Amino acid sequence: MAAAEGAGSTPVELLVSLGRNQSTKTLLKVIILAIIAAAAVASRLFSVIRFESIIHEFDPWFNFRATKYLVANGFYQFWDWFDDRTWHPLGRVTGGTLYPGLMVTSGAIYHLLRFLTVPVDIRNICVLLAPAFSGLTAYAAYLLTNEMTTSSSAGLLAAAFMGITPGYISRSVAGSYDNEAIAIFLLVFTFFLWIKALKLGSVLWGALCALFYGYMVASWGGYAFITCLVPLHAFVLICMGRFSLRLYVAYTTWYALGTLASMQIPFVGFLPVRTSEHMPALGIFGFLQLVAFLEYVRSAVPSRQFQTFLYVGLGGIFGVGLLGLVGLTAGGYIAPWSGRFYSLWDTGYAKIHIPIIASVSEHQPTAWPAFFFDLNMLIWLFPAGVYMCFQRLEDEHVFIIVYALFGSYFAGVMVRLMLTLTPVVCVAAAIAASQLLDTYLQYKSPEVVDNKEEESSDGTTKKSSKQSSLRSASQPVVGIYNVLSKAFIAGAMTLFLLIFVQHCTWVTSNAYSSPSVVLASRMPDGSQHIIDDYREAYQWLRQNTKEDAKIMSWWDYGYQIGGMADRPTLVDNNTWNNTHIATVGKAMSSREEVAYPIMRQHEVDYVLVVFGGLLGYSGDDINKFLWMVRIAEGIWPDEVKERDFFTPRGEYKVDADASETMKNSLMYKMSYHNYASLFPPGQAQDRVRGARLPDQSPVLNSLEEAYTSENWIIRIYKVKDLDNVGRDHAAAASFERGHKKKKAIKKRGPRVLRVE
Amino acid sequence: MRSLVSFLLLALVASVQAISSSGGNRLLVILEDVAEKAGYSKFFGDLEGMRKSLPYLLPRPNVRVQAASHHLLIASATGRGFDIAYETPKSESLSLFHLGERSYDHVLFLPTKAKGLGPNLTPNILLEFINAEGNILLALSGSTPVPSSLVSVLLEFDIHLPTDRQGLVVDHFNYDTASASEKHDVLLLPTPGPLRPDYKDFFSLSSSDAPDGRERAGERVVAFPNGVGQTLGQGSLLSPILRAPSTSYSYNPKEESETIDDLFASGSQLSLVSALQARNSARFTVVGSADMLSDKWFDASVKKVGEKTSVKTLNRDFAKAVSGWTFGEIGVLRVNWVEHHLNEEGLSNASNPKIYRIKNDVTYSISLSEYSWDKYIPFTVPENDELQLEFSMLSPFHRLKLNPTISSEDSTTYSVSFKLPDQHGIFNFLVNYKRPFLNNVFEKNTVSVRHFAHDEWPRSFVISGAWPWIAGIGATVTGWLAFCAVWLYSAPPATGESKKKQ
Repeated sequence: MAAAEGAGSTPVELLVSLGRNQSTKTLLKVIILAIIAAAAVASRLFSVIRFESIIHEFDPWFNFRATKYLVANGFYQFWDWFDDRTWHPLGRVTGGTLYPGLMVTSGAIYHLLRFLTVPVDIRNICVLLAPAFSGLTAYAAYLLTNEMTTSSSAGLLAAAFMGITPGYISRSVAGSYDNEAIAIFLLVFTFFLWIKALKLGSVLWGALCALFYGYMVASWGGYAFITCLVPLHAFVLICMGRFSLRLYVAYTTWYALGTLASMQIPFVGFLPVRTSEHMPALGIFGFLQLVAFLEYVRSAVPSRQFQTFLYVGLGGIFGVGLLGLVGLTAGGYIAPWSGRFYSLWDTGYAKIHIPIIASVSEHQPTAWPAFFFDLNMLIWLFPAGVYMCFQRLEDEHVFIIVYALFGSYFAGVMVRLMLTLTPVVCVAAAIAASQLLDTYLQYKSPEVVDNKEEESSDGTTKKSSKQSSLRSASQPVVGIYNVLSKAFIAGAMTLFLLIFVQHCTWVTSNAYSSPSVVLASRMPDGSQHIIDDYREAYQWLRQNTKEDAKIMSWWDYGYQIGGMADRPTLVDNNTWNNTHIATVGKAMSSREEVAYPIMRQHEVDYVLVVFGGLLGYSGDDINKFLWMVRIAEGIWPDEVKERDFFTPRGEYKVDADASETMKNSLMYKMSYHNYASLFPPGQAQDRVRGARLPDQSPVLNSLEEAYTSENWIIRIYKVKDLDNVGRDHAAAASFERGHKKKKAIKKRGPRVLRVE
Repeated sequence: MRSLVSFLLLALVASVQAISSSGGNRLLVILEDVAEKAGYSKFFGDLEGMRKSLPYLLPRPNVRVQAASHHLLIASATGRGFDIAYETPKSESLSLFHLGERSYDHVLFLPTKAKGLGPNLTPNILLEFINAEGNILLALSGSTPVPSSLVSVLLEFDIHLPTDRQGLVVDHFNYDTASASEKHDVLLLPTPGPLRPDYKDFFSLSSSDAPDGRERAGERVVAFPNGVGQTLGQGSLLSPILRAPSTSYSYNPKEESETIDDLFASGSQLSLVSALQARNSARFTVVGSADMLSDKWFDASVKKVGEKTSVKTLNRDFAKAVSGWTFGEIGVLRVNWVEHHLNEEGLSNASNPKIYRIKNDVTYSISLSEYSWDKYIPFTVPENDELQLEFSMLSPFHRLKLNPTISSEDSTTYSVSFKLPDQHGIFNFLVNYKRPFLNNVFEKNTVSVRHFAHDEWPRSFVISGAWPWIAGIGATVTGWLAFCAVWLYSAPPATGESKKKQ
C-alpha cells in the first residue's frame, strides 16, 4: 500500500492513489450515482422522443384524470370525490377507492413548481414522473445493497442494474403514469429502512420505515407485499433463534406506526385488522411480544427445562392464535383471502372462479423466456448473489434470501409481479457481480509470498510482477491472481455488462416504449407510420356527442374514454363491480333483442368496439370476446353459454362456419357490420383471424353506425331510440329498407284478441 | 330597424301560431276531387271559420235550445282557425315537406279511388311526416278500396284492415231503420265513454250539453254509415276511440255477399275509429267512415231498431272531438317547468342542483297545463289516476304520488317532498305519464347522489357509543405519559445500560 502511494509516477498510479482518497471516493460515488440516475431517466424517454409526451395505456389515463381533478379542485374535493362519469349509473366513490399517493405526489410537484414560478403543464409532470422516480429507485437500490456488503461497488452496480433493467422499465417509461411508477421506489426504500432499523434496533429508523410504508400504502395495492414480507423475515429470524431486542424494537415500531399510517387511507381503512392478507403482520406482532416476554423470563430464570417448557407453551399459544384466526375468519369477522391472493397459490383458481382476474393479460403466469427478456444476465447472477447471502447470513442477508424466494415464486405466478422480483434480483446480482469484479479486478495481487512483495516494492513495473507470477506457474497462487484469468474474467464480465446494456436498450426501445394509444408500423420504405385510430375516435366522441352521452364499451377502454373523450362510461379498468361488467358482457354477447333493453336500462347512447380485422390488430374485441362471454356466464349461466360460441367441432370461428349464437351476438354484428362492402365480392377477409368472411354483412337493427375510424380499429354505434310508432326495431329497419310488411293474415293458432 | 321589423314579424307569427291549435294550423286535405269538399262543407266550415275572440258561448243547461240552432251556435263560436289546403293525390305540386321542414301541420285523407297515392304520399313520406310530429286524420269508406300506401302505413302501425282493402261493417241489431233498413250498414252507436275509468274522457260528448231529450247515455247517438272496421294489434300506442257493438261484423260486399268464409273480425274487436299516438305525441286517427263527417250525416235524423221516434245524430260534435284530438286541440299536455331543490335547514336551497347527498330531503315540482281548444288550462289528473314521480337508478327507488299544490289560471303545479335513498349513484327524477289520448309526459332530470363527505359525519364525541373508546384513548395517553415520567425519574444507574443494549 505504502509503496503504491509513494510511486505516483504513472497516470494509472495517480488515479489509483486518487481513488483511495476517501473524499474523492465519495465524490466519485456521487458522480456515478448521478450518471446512473441520468441513464435511468434517459433510457425511459424513448417513447417521448419516438411519439410525443403522451399518457400511455389504460390505467395511467385514470391516474391522469384524477390528478387533473386534484389539481383543479384541491385536496379535500379530491378526497370526497364522487365520480358520476364512470360506472354509469352507479357512480364511483373515487376519492375513497383509489390509492392517492401518485396523484398527490404529482400534485405536490406541480404546486411546488408553480411556487417556484416554473409553469409546467400537469401532463408533463405526469408523463415524466416515472422516469424521475426511477432515478430515485436506483439510489434506493444502492442504499439497500450497501447494507448487504461492505463493497461499495456492489451498491453502484445494483443502482446501475436497477436503473436500466427492463423488468422495471416495463412499468416506468415516460408516460406510464401508473402507481408502480413511484411504488417501486417506495418498496425498495422501505426495505432499506427496515434493514437499517433492524440492524440498528433504532426507533427512529423504524418510524421512518413506517412512514415510507404509509406512503407505499397510499400509492399501490402491492403494499401487501411489504406487509407480508417483513413479518416473514421477522418470523424466519425468530425461528433461526435470532430473536433480539433490535428486531423487537424495529418490528413493533414499524408495525404499530405503519398500520396506523395505512389505516388513514380511505381505501384501506380497517382492512389491516379485517382481512387475512394483513393477519401475518398482526400475528407476528403478537408473537414477538410473547417471545420478548419469554426471553425476559428466561433471562430471569435460567433453567434449561423451564426454557423448553416455555417454548412448548409458546408453540401452544401460537397454535391457539392460529386457531382463533381461523375461527374468526370462519365467523366472518375477518375477511378470507381475496380471489386475487388465491390465484397466487393456485394459478388455475382465477380461471375457474374469477374470470375477470384471469382475463387480464398481466395476471397470466409468466413464461420462462420472460425472465430472460426482462432481466437478461441478472437472472443467472441472481442465484449466485443469493448464495453469497447464505455465506454471510447476517439478519439482512436472511431478508434477501426470503425476499428472493417469495419474489421468484410470485413472479412465476403472475407476469405483473416480475416488478417486485426485479429489485431483489438487482441487489443479489450486484452482490455476485461485485464479488466477482472485486476478486478479479484487483489491480495489485495481494501476493502471499514475500518475495513477490519485495519485487514490487523494488520499483519494478506491475508487468514484471505479473510476468513473474506467470513464470511461476507451479506456485499455489496461480488461479485468480493470474493476469490471464483476470483479463479473461474482466473481459468476459465487461462483455456481459455491455451486452446487458445493449439488451436493456433494445428491449426498452422495442417492447416497452409504445404508448399503445398510438400504434406504430413501418411503411415499405422503412419509414414510421403512425396509426392513431384511438385518439381519432375519442376525439370524435368528444366533439360530436352530448357531454353526458353514455358510452358502452368493454372495460379495457373505460379509462381511455373517460380520459381522452371525457364521456361517461358504463365500466372501466377499475373492475370493482363484477356484475356491472358482466352486464356489459351480456349485452355484447347476446342477441340484439336481449341487448337492447339492457342498453336502454343503462341509458347507453353509444357503443364502442375495437375491431382489428382490417389492419391485423390482434388486441381487438373479437379476440377478447370469449372473456366477455365467460364473465357474463358467471352471472347468467342460463342465458349466456360459452359453448354456444364455438362451432360443433369446438373451434372459435368468425367466418361462415361461425355458430349461430356467435353470428347473432351484438359484438359480432358490430365488428363486421358493413365490413364485406370494403372488399370485392368473395374477398372479404379478417386479417387477424385469417378468416374469409361471407359476403353478407350482419344486419344491425337496434343500432346504427355512427363512426368508424380510419383503419376501422374503433367503431362507434349509436343506440337507436324506441321506434316512434311502436314497431320493433327489426320491423322498422326492414320498412326503412323498403320491404313492405306482409299482411298478417292466416295466422296459425288462435286469434290474438285485444283486451282493454 | 331591421331587427325591429323582424321582431314584429316574429311576434305576428307567434300570435298567429298562438290562436291555432297547439300543433299549428296548416291543414292539408287530400281528396279525390277538390269539388268533393262541398259534401263536407260543415265539417270544413267548423275547422276553417275564424276563431272568435269572444269566450266560448255555452248554453246554460236549463235553457232548452232547438237542436239545429244549437249546432249553428257552436259552428259560429268554434271556428277553429285552420288554414285548409285542398289537394288531390295526382297533384304534382303536392309535397308534405319543403326543404326538410313540414309544409303542413296536419293532413286529412278523404277516400280516394286510385290504388296508390302517387310518389308524393308514399308510406315512407307519411311515416316521416308522423316522425316530424305531423298529425294525420284518415277517413275510409266502405265503398272505396283503401289506397295501398295507406294500407301499408296502417300495417306499420299494427292497424289491420279487411283483406282486399275493402270491407263493410254491418249490424243487424243496431242499424238505422230510416236509411238502411235493407243493408243494415248504417250503425247507430252510443257515444263512447273512456276506455278505462282512469282515463280522461274526450269522446263521450257529455259535456257538449245535448238537449235534454237525449241526456241519457243511450240517447247520445252517433251514426256510422258505410264504414270500414279495423282491428288493432297489441301495441300500447294504439287505442280504439269508437268500438263496434258486439253484434256487428265486417264483410266484403264484393266477394262475400253470399257467405262469409273467413270472418275478418266481429264484435268489439272491430274498431270503427282508432287512434295512434306516436312516442313523439304525433297523432294518427283512422275514421272508418268518411260519410260520418259528411254534411248528410252531421245532423241527420235516425231511428233505432224497435224505436218509434227518430233522434238527431251527434256526428258533428263527435267529428269535432275526433278532429280536435287528432289536430292537437285537446288532450295536449305541456310541461311548463320542472324544479327540484334541497329541502334542508341551513343549506343552500338553490333550484335544480346537479348533485345531492344521500339521505337529503328534497322537493320536486312539475307544472302542467292542458290545451283545450283555444287556451291552456290547468291540468287535473283524472279521478282514478295518479301522477307519479319515480326516483330511479336502473330501477325506481321511490315511486311517489305527486300532489297538486299550486293552481293558477293556466297551470297546476304538482309536487312531492321525500328523503333520498341511502344509495349513491346517478339517479333520475322521472315523470313518465303516458295515457291514451293525452300526449306523453316524459320528464327525466338526472342528478348525482353522492356519499357523505369526510367532514359530514357526526364527530366522535357526539356519538354516545364512542365514549368508552374516547375514554380508552385518554387513559392510554395519560398512562403513557405517567409511565414516561416514572421511567425518566427512576433512571437506572449507568451499569444497567450495557446490558440493555445487547
